[in-house]
Amino acid sequence: MQRDIGKPMFDLLLVIASAAAFAVSTTLPNIEIIGDLSPAFFPKLISALVFVFAVPCLIKDVREWQAADTRNERTISSRGVVQWLLIVALTLGYILIFERLGYIVSTAIFTFSCVIGLLLASGTWHELTSARRVRSLAGAAIFAIVLAVVIFYVFTELFEIPLPA
Amino acid sequence: MISGYLDGLGMVLQFGTLLAIAGGTLLGIIMGALPGLTSAMAVALLLPVTFGMPPVMGIGMMLGALCGAGASGSIPAILLNIPGTPSSVATTFDGFPMAKKGEAGRALGLSIVASFLGGIASMVILSLLAPPIADFALRFGAAEYFSLSVFGLVIIASVAGKSLLKGLIAGLLGFFVSIIGTDPITGVDRFTFGELSLLTGVNLLPALIGLFAVSQVLKDAFEYDPHQRLKDSGHRIDVARPRFLETLKHWRALLVGILSGSIVGPVPGAGGSIASLVAYDQARRFSRHPEKFGTGHAPGIVSVESANNALLGGALIPTLALGIPGEAATAVLLGGLMIQGVTPGPMLFDDQSGIVHGIFLAYLVANIFMLLIMCLGIKLFIRVLMVPRKQLLSAILVLCFIGVYGVDGDVFNLYLMLGFGILGYFLNRYGFGTAPVILGLILGPIAESNLRRGLQAFEGDWTPFFTRPISLTFLVIAAGLLVLTLWQNYRANRVPVQASKEGANP
Amino acid sequence: MKRLLSTLTIAATMVLGAPAMAADYPTKSVSMVVPFSAGGGNDTFVRALQPLLEKQLGQDLVIRNIAGGGGAVGTSRVAASKPDGYTMLAASNAMLTLEAMGNVAFTHDDFDFIAKVIEEPYVIAVGDNKKYKDLKSLIEASKQGKRLRVGVSGVGSSAHIAAVAMQNRTGADFNIIPYPGGSETISAAMGNHVDAVVLGGSELRSALESGRLTALAMTYAERSDSLPDVPTFQEEGYDLTLTVWRGIAAPKGIPEEVEQQWVKAIKQIVADGSYEKTAENLGTQLAPLYGDELDSFIDQSADVMREAAGDLAK
Repeated sequence: MQRDIGKPMFDLLLVIASAAAFAVSTTLPNIEIIGDLSPAFFPKLISALVFVFAVPCLIKDVREWQAADTRNERTISSRGVVQWLLIVALTLGYILIFERLGYIVSTAIFTFSCVIGLLLASGTWHELTSARRVRSLAGAAIFAIVLAVVIFYVFTELFEIPLPA
Repeated sequence: MISGYLDGLGMVLQFGTLLAIAGGTLLGIIMGALPGLTSAMAVALLLPVTFGMPPVMGIGMMLGALCGAGASGSIPAILLNIPGTPSSVATTFDGFPMAKKGEAGRALGLSIVASFLGGIASMVILSLLAPPIADFALRFGAAEYFSLSVFGLVIIASVAGKSLLKGLIAGLLGFFVSIIGTDPITGVDRFTFGELSLLTGVNLLPALIGLFAVSQVLKDAFEYDPHQRLKDSGHRIDVARPRFLETLKHWRALLVGILSGSIVGPVPGAGGSIASLVAYDQARRFSRHPEKFGTGHAPGIVSVESANNALLGGALIPTLALGIPGEAATAVLLGGLMIQGVTPGPMLFDDQSGIVHGIFLAYLVANIFMLLIMCLGIKLFIRVLMVPRKQLLSAILVLCFIGVYGVDGDVFNLYLMLGFGILGYFLNRYGFGTAPVILGLILGPIAESNLRRGLQAFEGDWTPFFTRPISLTFLVIAAGLLVLTLWQNYRANRVPVQASKEGANP
Repeated sequence: MKRLLSTLTIAATMVLGAPAMAADYPTKSVSMVVPFSAGGGNDTFVRALQPLLEKQLGQDLVIRNIAGGGGAVGTSRVAASKPDGYTMLAASNAMLTLEAMGNVAFTHDDFDFIAKVIEEPYVIAVGDNKKYKDLKSLIEASKQGKRLRVGVSGVGSSAHIAAVAMQNRTGADFNIIPYPGGSETISAAMGNHVDAVVLGGSELRSALESGRLTALAMTYAERSDSLPDVPTFQEEGYDLTLTVWRGIAAPKGIPEEVEQQWVKAIKQIVADGSYEKTAENLGTQLAPLYGDELDSFIDQSADVMREAAGDLAK
């Protein structure tokens, strides 16, 4: 059994979130309609059920975590975490520039950064000779531009799906 | 009737009509295969093109798009674990594991043939039984919809992973998300926090793409290892061909899929998306090897994919027989029919002009084109797996953006998509699963609004939920399935305990 | 695909030496924002108009579905965009409803209305036409004992407001039950899960034509050609006139020439009859209105909606 502190932490988050959701649910306004349950009925019911189910999950996962061998600590690959955060950050950045810079420019920047970013984060970059580095950069740039332009024209012209210009 | 079909055949078997249907089908296949682009969008895109055409030609083109999109959602589901359409969520359960074993081609071959057979069967049902099925669908009032959704929610137990408790939590999370927005009965804002885009609730599409596509990309990014590229090339291209005989061998799963699609499909608004999950659930329950489901088991793919295209025929039943579209794609199709001057309703079926028969035949032809195009493309689709990972990851995200932005043109949905992606990543990582979230999200509003609508209509009386026959039937079946699941779960938990005891005392 | 074809056609005509466009506008494609998802009444209306407008304007018309908030998101977006004639709105009375319900930041004064193109009445229809032969018997039934279950599409929608207005003007006792959309409402009426429905005429068209539902009254001032047998509320002695209309609007302050180009294009489409049949098939009728007449019509409709929405809040 691998030891992963994230598991009980996520359960704890659910317990807290469901309690908070229940609290917000009680503040929902009500409009009386004959026969109707109030608008707050289901939010309260669902958040209460999540709470009730999440607590035993938390207990079980904490016990498992305590019982698991500490030597078997899940080797969280720092490379994996960096790659994960990189993609999340780049996606967020892509959303922010999506309408501002238009589809083609933002997509080209995003794709280029993804490919080169993963190259850097995975450590492959250091293994490359400087000639290969230039080739990787050029390849990524061509890929990014071609992808952005082709997709833009296919979708706006052929499929008539409007994208930010 | 025969003369009607002959007239219809005359309308379909024209070069222009055949070309239009083939074109529509091809467009549908492309749109369905790209995550986020929906069949509704494909049909809307074709709508203005069809104006100048004769009715059967224009409608055939739109039916082709529906049919193509219904089948091709399985392609990314199998190859990348990313469902192209909501109804191919269940295809990922067995399709992706099979692909991981290097048999992506086999999975595609099964899904294509199952889609085709499902489509053909539903066309037969549509042409023979549409009016009585439509009348049956009309008997669904608030009480029946509520009980149907309860029946659907029991499926969560089947699509949950190892832990039933965690699956339930995931389903409830989806249910809670569906509550966000304007309350369907009183109009009160719930959890919108002043955001305009949330007034009509969280859209299914950004949630679906986030939970399945973005979360999968994040998982791939986490596990990305440049030295592992060679491992992926173990895919066997030679198994990539349509699998007629193998699909027919799993005739039980095929039958379950066709029946689920034809029964759940016609109920308007119940979400054709659940028909395939119902099919998967039933196929697993009635299988002799339920434990093999989820590991790349062929009947899993066959049941889902046959249901997928059978539900299209099912969804056409209320659209043609009553003028009531079940969801967005058939709503656009209905608009197209009306512009063509074809009035849906019982009279359409009595009409002697042959148009309705032409529509059935056009649907049949669309299925044949779908089979042909997919068979020709099958070796091409597999090549997606040969694209280097880092390029593939960014290209998938780019397409996700188009899908989510293209439907409603709202940047807010992109943020939602990313949020669901992160949530989905952790749900998968800690054993909750993402499929139950989608079920909760689809069924939640049906359950809540119909329970409350029913209580409003019955003025606070609960008994009709238990006394109306259809409603009672669904509730009894749901209760039965729940008990069965709990018992199976209990037994499954005891067996390993006993086995380990026996192992301990030799 | 069609755009590609039309580009080719235009290119071909240019090669053949056809005269260039008279005025400068439009020099590039025009966005038409539909504030609802594909498949709704607004979307179908404008998609059917799209090829005709493209022919008249000589440029592509790109339809953008910006859905959300019951039309609020897309309408707000147009109100905030540049009034250069390249962003237009597929407008309908839904925007007046949103304004009347008071959840949005825009008003109808933030727009230049270019044309009203089609309209349809609100219709009250029943599934059981033996029990409820006419409007009078329906209202009588509601006053004796059981409240009438009346289905509408969407809570706080225009149809909802119309139903409340009907209830108040006729003194009937309605138990108004909101359904998510028109099709769900109609199937509830066909299955006798509700006694009556209040919906736009186009949504009800096929149900009425097939005889599954029977229209008892509608909200035009006078009888219409599309529903010749259905009496108006006015005829039945109730002061109630409401219409569902659809047309084209632009953000406030577009240049006069641009507005004239559009009016000319729509007038031409109306005059050559190319849209009439489509409008009829959709269960609506052409009811074009432009300029000052249109502005006063919009002001008047907004007042009616505000009044009716006030009734809903009570």
